[in-house]
This record gives sequence, structure tokens and C-alpha cells, in this order.
Amino acid sequence: MELQKFTYDNRIARLFMNATILWGIVGMLVGLTIALELIFPLMSNNIPWLSFGRLRPLHTNAVIFAFVGNGMFTGIYYSMPRLLKTPMFSELLGKIHFWGWQLIIVSAALTLPFGITVGKEYAELEWPIDIAIALIWVVFGINMIMTTVKRRTKHIYVAIWFYLATFVTVAVLHIVNSIAIPVSFLKSYPVYAGIQDALVQWWYGHNAVAFFLTTPYLGLMYYFVPKAANRPVYSYKLSIIHFWALIFLYIWAGPHHLLYSSLPDWAQALGVVFSIMLIAPSWGGMINGLLTLRGAWDKVRESPVLKMFVVGITAYGMSTFEGPMLSLKSVNALSHFTDWTIAHVHIGALGWNGMITFGMLYWLLPRLYNTKLFSVKMANAHFWLATTGMLFFAIPLYFAGFTQSLMWKQFNEEGYLTYPNFIETVVQILPMYYIRVLGGSLYITGVILMIINLIKTAKMGTFVPTEDDEAPALIAQNHGVDKGHRVIEGKPVLFTILSLVAILIGGIVEFVPMFMVKSNVPTISSVQPYTPLELQGRDIYLREGCYVCHSQMIRPFRSEVERYGEYSKAGESIYDHPFQFGSKRTGPDLAREGVKGGPIYKPDSWHYNHFVSPQKMVAQSIMPPFPWLITDDLDISTTAKKIRVMQTLGVPYPEGYAEKANDDLMKQANKIAQGLRDGGIQVEDTKEVIALIAYIQRLGTDIKKVEGN
Amino acid sequence: MTTANNMPDNKHEEYEIDTLTNQRLLSNHEYDGIRELDNDLPSWWKWLFILAIVFAIFYMVRLWVFRADDLIQKKEFDTEMAGVNAAKPAPTTEVFEVKILTDSESLAAGKETWTKICSVCHLQDGGGLVGPNMTDNYWIHGNKVENLFNTVTNGVIEKGMIPYKDQLSQKQRLQVISYVLEEIVGSTPANPKAPQGDLYE
Repeated sequence: MELQKFTYDNRIARLFMNATILWGIVGMLVGLTIALELIFPLMSNNIPWLSFGRLRPLHTNAVIFAFVGNGMFTGIYYSMPRLLKTPMFSELLGKIHFWGWQLIIVSAALTLPFGITVGKEYAELEWPIDIAIALIWVVFGINMIMTTVKRRTKHIYVAIWFYLATFVTVAVLHIVNSIAIPVSFLKSYPVYAGIQDALVQWWYGHNAVAFFLTTPYLGLMYYFVPKAANRPVYSYKLSIIHFWALIFLYIWAGPHHLLYSSLPDWAQALGVVFSIMLIAPSWGGMINGLLTLRGAWDKVRESPVLKMFVVGITAYGMSTFEGPMLSLKSVNALSHFTDWTIAHVHIGALGWNGMITFGMLYWLLPRLYNTKLFSVKMANAHFWLATTGMLFFAIPLYFAGFTQSLMWKQFNEEGYLTYPNFIETVVQILPMYYIRVLGGSLYITGVILMIINLIKTAKMGTFVPTEDDEAPALIAQNHGVDKGHRVIEGKPVLFTILSLVAILIGGIVEFVPMFMVKSNVPTISSVQPYTPLELQGRDIYLREGCYVCHSQMIRPFRSEVERYGEYSKAGESIYDHPFQFGSKRTGPDLAREGVKGGPIYKPDSWHYNHFVSPQKMVAQSIMPPFPWLITDDLDISTTAKKIRVMQTLGVPYPEGYAEKANDDLMKQANKIAQGLRDGGIQVEDTKEVIALIAYIQRLGTDIKKVEGN
Repeated sequence: MTTANNMPDNKHEEYEIDTLTNQRLLSNHEYDGIRELDNDLPSWWKWLFILAIVFAIFYMVRLWVFRADDLIQKKEFDTEMAGVNAAKPAPTTEVFEVKILTDSESLAAGKETWTKICSVCHLQDGGGLVGPNMTDNYWIHGNKVENLFNTVTNGVIEKGMIPYKDQLSQKQRLQVISYVLEEIVGSTPANPKAPQGDLYE
């Protein structure tokens, strides 16, 4: 057999590696900043782009898409050519992918802190950036698929299965969830509304966890763990079963983010059962990772790389067991909206994604520089800092979540809420927030050690830009006839299409009834579109990231109905483009904030004072002040366009209303401002705060009109 | 599931063994030096998976066929509320006496409620901000203990004062009113709000 010569390009892997390290530390430092802001709410010092609501989306986007994203690309661009015995299909596409992705990250960093956001969690980026993501992602996909076409191995290895499934699924998720109609260059409204938007969003959100944070990293695990341990993979059969089961089942589980919401019972139930069924397929990956190390445990003791892999895979096993448990309704009733969720996701992020990335970098960088790691001691120190940091981060938050949830639900003997004032439950868990900061700081210290160690390593060696290899051409090889799963392993394009089919089924089964069957979103006749002023106020609510800390979803529990008012109905949010149910209650739920005489109603003047200084109204509040709402004028030049876009989306404003909308807006603003002035507050009609107050006082009131009649 | 494709079916034929674990390696499965073992699925894992699938079927059948109450959240809520209402003591014929309390225990409890709830609008020292100044002798809805009790119980909805009858017990309401009349009225707040209502001597 004639051997063909070819070279692997290490430069692209190095580029992605550098970006992983850079964005990793940036994303983590933003995380540390916002953790501190929860303890010192005045820390943002009245600077809008430093406030918690704007920085938290930056933190999540940076860690998920910049740190983990570049981490996955590093591993893929290094492992894929070697597994397929061919260079990547196109160096140019690789470069476009790299620079395009970094540009997307930079544009995220230049928009999110300035309040440019769609207001959907983990999908905050505005439409031009969304289009760029779709294009760059397709470039990445073409580069991968064409590489598999040009391969010199007959079959594709399990790591490649995961890479391909990642590509198709993330493409589908991103495109479907991001469909929106632009209002302007940096503002758009999603086409879905209310509970339907929520279903699409959490189908996306849950599977961003599955197919951005999990499947590509399982692929990396299948390459780097056997490589670093020099051991065979434990079970090929398990690889097959757990791969297909995982990608097929994962896509159904999104509704578990909406348990006890206004989502219909059947959809919630699907979210529950598919989450439970996911335990075994997830653990299949853990087993194949850990048992691959059989016979190499002596090496694990000495190698920081393997130690990190072991803790990373164990964290994966823990969080994929915990996830299904949190999807049981009885557990979710307790855990949802609390810091429990924050602890859970950080076991995944700090443990699984972090540790696998660090292990990969410690293994890979010395190879790219043809040298040995500068200091194994430092890497071991990093390992311990990261492990203890993760525990100091997560354990206090589990405790905080559990404690706060029980306080929310506690009734006294006379049948009244024991802690009717939300702030009491916040003050109780504040010490846990301090310990979380300690945990995060330990973790970041470890990363800084790693950066020093890697820089020193790079300086010791010389970069190897390309590596030569040789293999016979695919057609020259004789493999005999394939049977079973081996057949599709020999047909990567077919393999990709089959993965696509597997991941489409769950979404279709859940979406079609939700959008086609009217009884899933029962109409409430008294629910009306927002007034122009309320609509503008709602956009301020999105801009400031209020949804990051305040939910708008009262669950059907006695404790929530007593605290917040009547539980939320699907028909109430049909004009909400996007929905604002939220997923965390750092502050109280606002779904019925505007209901006069309701348990949490506050007058306009209270809200005004509270935006200027939350601590003036609630001394121990951890909400930051929003003084710019008082000084900045509301931009009403956009009103007509916004109304027209809403009309396109089916919101029933009368024909021709867009042109008259600002008249109504000014009338309503004058009424609210006059009321404030009567109470001695000097404020002009034109200020942003007036619009936000209008929106907040509208929340949850439509349903009451029926009762009034 | 057929797997060991190129693996000879005849076990007596030669195949490679991983020396550390004594397990069979799949031939022809080698990718950049990575080999794969021919191990079967761990049986506990298979059972875990099967059990989860059985659970899922059982769960969906309970919902779709038997309409189980605990899987339909509206029914779940109604059950919870019915339980609460059933547990409520029958309304006593005893008349609750709205009369100012002066014992230190009641005043301390009243202060606690004031701090938790009332101070959000009337400020801790009672000087008023969103709500009226409670330290002066000007009253919008009267200065008698019954007047205050009525205001706290039913609220002044158009002014933004919510009814507290569902959040505070009668006793708690009376305690906090007593605290206001005994301790707040006549004190000197840091930033008193201008008087509202009528002067009561």
C-alpha cells in the first residue's frame, strides 16, 4: 500500500487555545465581580454598564460561548485531523472560524454591558450577532464535515460522532430560538410569545447545556483521556448506546425548566420523564471515561492531567444525576428559583468543563511546544485550588438554596407566612454569598497559576507549527464488509443526517401541539396589549436585566399565592415578546406587582424612591440603584416602529395606531409623573423611570379586570 | 446490537488481549493510537436504564390514562388549598378586642412587625416617606386604635397601602398598632415628612 504524506496544522489549535485561556479568565473575573456585587450592591457605583443585571449575561455568555466554546474548538481542531488521518479540510475556513468567533465574543462584550439584549437567558445577543453566529457555525460545520469526507480512516471514532452531533444540534437550536423581527439595527422582538416562547427558549437553553457544554466535551474526553492515560476505551458497545440514547433523549428534557409554570401538564411531564431517562446515557459517558483509566490508576496519582480528568468526569456524573433529580416535580418545587440551581450549574461549569479544559491544556501545550510541563507541582496546586474552590462555591449555595426555599414556604401556627418580607430570606443566606466569593477566588487563583505555568512551558520549548504524518489513501484500504453500527461509522455524512433526525423528533413532538392546539394556551379575554409607554418600559426592564433576579411566574402553591397573589396563567403572557418568566429569585417575583391591594403592591412613589436607592426603602436590600433612570430621557422615536413590529407579530393594536402611539404614551406619562409630583417628587414626564413604573404597575393586572366586572 | 464486526465469531481464533485488564481489544478499532475494548454494557447500568424507561412509561400512563391528581397541577393546588381551609379553626364566637396593648412583650413584637413590614414605606423611625409621617398628631383616617386597626386590616388601596388581613394575624396587627401609638407617635424622626390629614389634640 502506498503511503500518502500530509501535515497537521498546530497553529489553529494554538490560536483557539490562547483564546480559551484569555476568555476563560475574563469570564471568571466577571463572575467574581457579580458575586461581589451581590454582597456589596453599591459596588457598581451607579455606573450602568457595571450593574449586576447587565454583567450577569456577560458572565454566562463569556464562560459558555467564549471559554468553553474556544475550548471545544481547540480540542476539535487538534484531535479531528489526527483521528481521521488528514489535515483539516481548509485552513482558510479554520481562520474564518477563529477570527469570526472572536469577533462575535468581542461584539457580545460591547453590547451586553450596554443593555443591548434580547432578554432571553443564554440567548441575549441581538440579531446581527445572531446571524454572525449562525454563519460562523456553518463555516465550522462545513470544515468538519468536509474533513470527514477527505479522511484516510475507514470509520469515524466516537469523539467525531459527538463533534458532528454538536454541530447539527447547535445549529438547529440557535436558529430556531433566535428568530426575531428587527426594530432597529440593535433591537428586535422574538417571534414567539409567552409560554410558547418559554418552551422554545428552554428547549434551546437546556440543549445548549447538552450540546454546547456536554456533547463536544464528551468528544474531547474520548480523545484526551485515552491519549493521556495511554489506555484503550472501556467499551465500544457502551459508546454506541450512550451516544444515541443521549442525543435522542436530551432534546426532550427542556420543559423541566418550566415545572409548575403555566406550561400544560403533558409538556411538563415529558420534561420530567425524559430527564429521568437521561441518567443512564449520561452515566454511560462517565463510565467510559473513568473505566478507561483501569490499569492506569497509578498514573492518575502522579499526573495532574489525569487527576483533573477524573474530577471533571466525576463532576459530570454528579451533575447529570442531580439534574434529573431536580427535574422531579417535588424536588423542583423546592429547588427552583433558588441558589440551588446556581450551585448545580457550577458543578458542571467549574467541575466538568473547567477541569476537562485544564487537563487538556496541560496535556496539549507541552506537545505543541515539544517540551515538558514547566512545573508539575504548580499544576498539582492548581488541581487542589480548583477542587476546593468548586466545593467552597457549590456547598454554601446548596445550603442557601435549601434554606431560602424553606423560609419562603414556611407558615406560622396561625396560618400566615412566617417570613412575609422577602428581604428576611435574603439576609439569612448572605453569609453563604461570602463563602461563594471565597470559593470562586480560590478557583481563579488556580487558573492564574495555570496561566503562569503554561507561559513558562511555552518559553521553555519551541512551537511546532506543523506535524507530518502518513497513511494510505482510503480507497487503497481493504476493510472487508461492515456490519451493524460499523456501517454508518463508515459514512460520516449519513451519520450526521441520522443525528439530525434523532435530535429533531423531541422538539417537533413538543412544539407542534404547543403551537397548533389552542387549549394549550387558554385565552383570557381581558388580556390586552401593553400601552406604548408600558411597552417602552418593558424594554427598559429587558435592558437592565431585571429578569436575571426577578421572576414573573407565580407557581400554584399556597406559599406563592399568599406571598405574591393568584398563580400565573398561560393566557396572561400571550403578548410578551419575549417572555420574562425568569429562572431565579434573588428578589421577589413581580408577576402581580401591579395588582392594587395585592400582597406585594407598592405605590408609584415607592418604586421611584426604590430605583433611586433600594437601600433607602429596604435597608438590607442587595439590589443596585438605578439613578440613570431618573436622569435619562425616554427615547420615544422608536415607539411607532415597535408598535408596527408588534402588529406584524400578531399583537392586536388597532390599524394605524403606530402613528398615534406617542400621544397616548405622553398622556399616560403625564398622569404618572403628575401623581409623583403631587406627592412631592420632582420628576419630568419624559424620564425613563416613568415608563418603567408604568410597566411594573401593569404587571399581573389584566386578569383582575375580569373579577372586577 | 452487533458490534464486534471484524471480530472472529469463533472464540478459539486469535484476538488481542489488553494485558493490564485481560480484556479483548477490538481489532481494526484504532484511531490515532486509541484502541477500544470489546466490553459489554455493565449490567447495573442496563438495569438503571431499563428502570428509568419503566418509570417514564408508568408516569405518562398515570397522567394520560388515569389523570392522576398529583400530576395535574391545578388539582394539586386545589388539594393543597382545601387541606389548608379544612385545617383552619372554626371562626370563634369570641370577639377580638381591639384595645391598645402596653405590655413590653407586645410592644417588642409590634416593633418587629414594624421593622419587617411597615418601615418599607413609613421608615424605621416613622418619619414617613412613601407613607405618611406616623410621629406627628396629624391623621388621615383617625387616631383611635380602631381607626388604625381598620386601616391596617383593609388597607387604603387607592393610596397604595395594601390590606394586611392576609399577611398579619389580628394579634400582630394590634401589636404593631400599639407599638405605633405607644412608641412612634411623639418621637422625633430624622427627616419628618410634612403633616397630612387633620390635627387631633
